[in-house]
Amino acid sequence: MSAPSRSARIALVGNPNAGKTTLFNELTGQNQKVGNYSGSTISRKSGSFYTPHGHQIELIDLPGTYSLYPNSPDEQITRDVLLGDHQNEEAPEMVLCVLDATHLERHLYLLIQIIDLGFPVVAALNKTDLAEARGLRIDPTVLSEQFGIPFVPISATTSRGLTTLKHSLRHPFPPPAGRAWKGTSEIESAIAQSTESATTHQHGILKVGEPGSEHEQSIQKTRFAFIHRAISNGLKHPDQSSRRLSEHLDSHLLHPLRGWIFFVLLMLTVFWSIFEFAALPMDFIEVQFENLGAMVERWIPEGDFRSLVVDGIIAGVGGVLIFLPQIMLLFFFISILESSGYMARAAFLMDGIMSKVGLSGKAFLPLLSGYACAIPGILATRTIPNAKERLATILILPWTSCSARLPVYILMIPMMIPGAFAQGLALLGIYVLGTVTALLAAKILKPRLGVAEPPQFLLELPPYQRPQIKEVIRQVWDRASAFIRKAGTVILGLSVLLWFLGTYPKSTSDDPSVQQKATFNAQIGRAIEPIVSPLGWDDKMGTAVIASFAAREVFRSSLAVSYATDEEDEKAMRETLSQAKRDDGSKLYTPLVGLSIIVFFIYALQCLPTTVVVRRETGSWKWALGQLSAMTLFAYLAALMVYQIGKLILAI
Amino acid sequence: MPVLATELQVDSALTLSQAATGCEFQIRELEGTNCRQLREIGFCEEMRVRKLTNGRNMLCTICGTQLALSKDLADQIRVIPA
Repeated sequence: MSAPSRSARIALVGNPNAGKTTLFNELTGQNQKVGNYSGSTISRKSGSFYTPHGHQIELIDLPGTYSLYPNSPDEQITRDVLLGDHQNEEAPEMVLCVLDATHLERHLYLLIQIIDLGFPVVAALNKTDLAEARGLRIDPTVLSEQFGIPFVPISATTSRGLTTLKHSLRHPFPPPAGRAWKGTSEIESAIAQSTESATTHQHGILKVGEPGSEHEQSIQKTRFAFIHRAISNGLKHPDQSSRRLSEHLDSHLLHPLRGWIFFVLLMLTVFWSIFEFAALPMDFIEVQFENLGAMVERWIPEGDFRSLVVDGIIAGVGGVLIFLPQIMLLFFFISILESSGYMARAAFLMDGIMSKVGLSGKAFLPLLSGYACAIPGILATRTIPNAKERLATILILPWTSCSARLPVYILMIPMMIPGAFAQGLALLGIYVLGTVTALLAAKILKPRLGVAEPPQFLLELPPYQRPQIKEVIRQVWDRASAFIRKAGTVILGLSVLLWFLGTYPKSTSDDPSVQQKATFNAQIGRAIEPIVSPLGWDDKMGTAVIASFAAREVFRSSLAVSYATDEEDEKAMRETLSQAKRDDGSKLYTPLVGLSIIVFFIYALQCLPTTVVVRRETGSWKWALGQLSAMTLFAYLAALMVYQIGKLILAI
Repeated sequence: MPVLATELQVDSALTLSQAATGCEFQIRELEGTNCRQLREIGFCEEMRVRKLTNGRNMLCTICGTQLALSKDLADQIRVIPA
């Protein structure tokens, strides 16, 4: 059989949380992120697979939507791709519509709109295993007759029915089924008129029923009436008198008091675990890098090259990689929350607080993603319908502490507070402080951005499910490998640069302290000392903070170079830092100075990729650069206030 | 249904926010600025809805799906006892 010259294009469409991305991953073998909440896919992704007949298919995974009249930017992408309006991309040749069999009635409305557009459509009845377990009886044959398209029962998580589904996608595709419902003569003539005058049939069909149009309500009602008739024979419900597990759990987890107690305890457990459970693997990594350093020292004769490899590369990269266990633990908990269905509940709980600052609970989901990394958080704001609310959320989002700040917190907190529980509490406090400030900033920003109407809260709460271990492992592995890649590229390069700045130029003196003062690092430090000394920092800390604008993680490497300490040894480094003295002999790293550094890192936007993404999402450098300078200035002023006011209080 | 009976039914309709929790209702009609969005997510005429909680944001079940909606939106949904 000869391979076709061009792969056929199929769009994967469905309501949010219908299981589109799980099916996409199963069919294409990709590893796109899956979550048990609405809005886990926010952009167009594509992959390919072969049908049993050997035809190559390009599958386009699209953000979930309830209809083809978008309420938010992510839904707009779906509409645009289907109509061929997305970045000059041709419209797909076929649509694979994923329906959640456990909520079939609600998902058929989108299906009927897609059939109306005139595409050949195949409906994948996903989660049929769950539907059967709930006693729902679905007759795919009856549904196929009513809608005029194939309905294929599948379960994307268990790969059930996927071969049959691939058979139903054989190329050449069948002709479109055509509109299954018929409206009044008035509606029919409006449709005929609209499709004639529009550029394409699809645009015409959508235009006649668009929001605010004369026939919007009647077309919507006619479609729903057809759905009710069509499913009266194709779907049988069981006796629903018994309350489901999700409802029972929600009666506690969404309770105004018990729900909050659970939420706070859950967050405390997460942060305590990050300190408690990471200690052992951190020690292991530390020992491995120490051994590697010792081994290299035996191989390479003493000199600058050995210093570069041992003090620059191994110490620099190793000093960042020892935080891998903490990063993995953080992502383990985040993916458990996403996969279990709790994320949407957190948004529900937070809506009360969010509304007080003029945002809706929906905006809390991107903020939660921001704890992992600001970039996916900013992209997740595409699920927010209101443009001004979206902009306000983007502007405040970097104040939710991302995982790149974690190494700095983990270094500084134990120097200030002993005990894993108290340290966990302090870490939780840092995250709370960042979030609270972000929300207050939203309250100040929103009226200035000109947002008039109060946000309406409307959110689907997915049923609780046991977290999918495969998905949790995939997400943790993805983030861990990204962290390792960063350590092996950006951090490696910066470590070499820091080593160079901390080693050259050489002085003629043999005294290490004189040599240290002659280096570029010391020269930069002296130049910025007047700016950073009001914050309680010395020149070395100032240089480390400047270096961390390239990547926050190198703060630690830079301090290690400046103080010539053994960076892989966590305890030795803390000891060196805690013994560091000012010129007057007083202790340098006091708890107040530690607090000043932490406060700076909470508020400073030291991430160039974030600024680039903000520019792309807002379409303007004005917002991106404004955010960068405002956050840096705020961070400086906050650290200044903490140190100066703290000093005054301690002097009393 | 006779006209009088229909009118009586419409008159006796409550908004979803006024309806009692724990009971099942049928959606009679939608009235307000967010009708389209409500229908799209599942609150369309004739559908059965079970109200679970009251409050600023309320919880209800429709076709087996749990949905949370603000009081302003619930005020736009008129229901009758199922």
